[in-house]
Amino acid sequence: MLSVKNIVKQYAAHRALDQVSLEVERGKIFGLLGPNGAGKTSLIRIITQITAPDSGEVLFNGERLNANHISQIGYLPEERGLYKKMEIGEQVLYLSKLKGLSTAEATKRIKFWFEKLEMAGWWSKKVEDLSKGMQQKVQFVATILHQPELIILDEPFSGFDPVNADIIKNEILELNKQGATFIFSTHRMESVEELCDHIALIDRSKKILDGSVDEIKATYRNNTYWIEYEGDYNVETAKGIFEVLQTENVKGKTLIKIQLQKDRTANEVLSALLPYVAITRLDEVIPTMNDIFIDKVKRQDYE
Amino acid sequence: MNKILLIIRREYLSRVKKKSFIIMTFLTPLLIAGIYGLIGYFTYKGIKDTHDKIAVVSTNKTLTDKLASDKNIEYDYVSKGLEEMKKSLKTSDYDYVLYLPEFDLKAPKGVELFGAKQAGLSLNNRISGDIEELIRNQKLKESGIAQADLDQLKTSVDIETKKIADTGKEESSSAGASTVIAFIAGILMFMFIMLYGIQVMRGVIEEKTSRIIEVMISSVKPFQLMMGKIIGIALVGLTQFILWIVLTLTISTVAVTILADKVDVKKIAASTQSGSQVTTGTQVVSPAQGPLLDIQKSLAGLDFGKIVSVFIFFFIGGYLFYSALYAAIGSAVDSETETQQFMMPVMMPLLLGYALSLSVVTNDPYGNIAFWLSMIPFTSPIAMVVRLPYGVPNWELALSMVILVVGFIGTVWVASRIYRVGILMYGKKTTFKEMFKWFTYKN
Repeated sequence: MLSVKNIVKQYAAHRALDQVSLEVERGKIFGLLGPNGAGKTSLIRIITQITAPDSGEVLFNGERLNANHISQIGYLPEERGLYKKMEIGEQVLYLSKLKGLSTAEATKRIKFWFEKLEMAGWWSKKVEDLSKGMQQKVQFVATILHQPELIILDEPFSGFDPVNADIIKNEILELNKQGATFIFSTHRMESVEELCDHIALIDRSKKILDGSVDEIKATYRNNTYWIEYEGDYNVETAKGIFEVLQTENVKGKTLIKIQLQKDRTANEVLSALLPYVAITRLDEVIPTMNDIFIDKVKRQDYE
Repeated sequence: MNKILLIIRREYLSRVKKKSFIIMTFLTPLLIAGIYGLIGYFTYKGIKDTHDKIAVVSTNKTLTDKLASDKNIEYDYVSKGLEEMKKSLKTSDYDYVLYLPEFDLKAPKGVELFGAKQAGLSLNNRISGDIEELIRNQKLKESGIAQADLDQLKTSVDIETKKIADTGKEESSSAGASTVIAFIAGILMFMFIMLYGIQVMRGVIEEKTSRIIEVMISSVKPFQLMMGKIIGIALVGLTQFILWIVLTLTISTVAVTILADKVDVKKIAASTQSGSQVTTGTQVVSPAQGPLLDIQKSLAGLDFGKIVSVFIFFFIGGYLFYSALYAAIGSAVDSETETQQFMMPVMMPLLLGYALSLSVVTNDPYGNIAFWLSMIPFTSPIAMVVRLPYGVPNWELALSMVILVVGFIGTVWVASRIYRVGILMYGKKTTFKEMFKWFTYKN
């Protein structure tokens, strides 16, 4: 539904985005990852029409991005806040009217969401009287109230306590089920890993990785396993099957990390070991997005 | 367009509903009326009530006449010596002892005034005025002019200034009344532009520090947000101004009706007049009216409808001109403490315009300086409303208005280009160079 094509954005001497292209499919949760200052926020500001690219274009449902799309996008920026002296209800009403909702419709929806997120009775409270977590909830409601097709959340879980983070996560999944497309932007991979279908990694203004989470993880698998066993036996490198990378003794058990040789399987490892030890655990070492991220970024550094 | 209206509405309502706005709006006219009332009351009472009894110790043989007493001051020539009078001053019922030594009429020296308390400025002026009068009369007499002729010399001329309007009709005017109106208009204009301009700046900074700006900017264009804020606050200013006029008129009407029963206005006028003329002598050839009534009369000669509507026009124009600059400043900083370096260049022309308008322009409302000050949009809002009560040719007024409109379109354009970049910048110390760079950014 969203195609970003060859975007370039230049700020004086600093190039914030360099030929960045992305495809976000409808109904997916898309993770836009990258270290601080990589250009994520610059890209989001272009998608939300806060700024315009120097070259390249953004298509929304096949149409070139224009003012009509503002009401179809919901954006929760990383730097978010509310008017301190304004009543919560008035404030959300104001923000959603700016997105094009009528007073009656907006009021109805605000009441619905306030009820749902246990915020009933907050209408005439002022922001000054709310805790940070409570403010985040208000901001979340303001972001999604106009039922945008595309919801962009920049660092969505920073500042949330675990309980509220969970509530919001569930709401995101539910909205996603109803058809909303999400873009998460973050530098903390672990917070979004389980939610994202697809990710793109941006580092120093360039896209360096793009693909579905499963695919990427598959590429970064390197046939490494954790094996835990009981028994007084020192496993050594079995010729032709695997190589032991690391050995640890934990509470009478032994934990080893092995890497398969080419074209070998975990089954072959098990049959090689079974005669000597009692195996209690076998885990494939799957790199987390965090590992991949660090690995990728470091490799860039090296180059 | 709909969005800008929503923004204007919020900016307007959130300010008008504030307690401080309501208090300011209703209290200020009361306060001003109260202060003027008190000043008027005490001046009136002071003039009526002062009565100083002065013992005059004179060793002067040259002055043949004596200082004349009236209801405010009583000169009592005593025969005792100066030292003796000084000693007994506290126990006697005299307030002061005035010592007149022998002196040369051409260079009178050595006059001294002793008192238990320091003599006030007005008493001091009064006594020196009386002595000067005495010396003047003495000199005239010595040159052979008879007292009768002297008395005849005193004529008071009251110039009734009339302005010939473009239509050829004579309009009654008074330099005094025009100056009063000019001052009030100038001060009000300066206050309004300053106060509301700074409110715009505060509003922008508030949106930046509370970090709502990016949420807003994803829904509306920076230009819409800036203009919405500027217009919303302008309406707050207009509301306040109109309420002040209405309230002041109501209060003064009520006050005049109440006072009119108790005090005859003419009496006040007459007494303030004698108060101001006592220094020139005791025999006053009274003009038919006091200056107060005079001002009242020529106030009626001024076209208030025109003054108020031109004031409102220049308020809106001047406010737009400056508030756009204030908005740009607000967008460039992270907190109000950082605004200083940018405030200076914006404040200077306004202050300069204010100072020059109230001095040079009121002195010479048709001069070159007055003309240019009322054309340059940095100073024209103040200079023009100051000139207005003296009468300004219509073409000058129109030209100044056009220049101001062009001016504020210019500042709004420049400011909006700085604003759109500045509002999204955090944690960077901004310089003028930086602001210029923002201005040149494409989008």
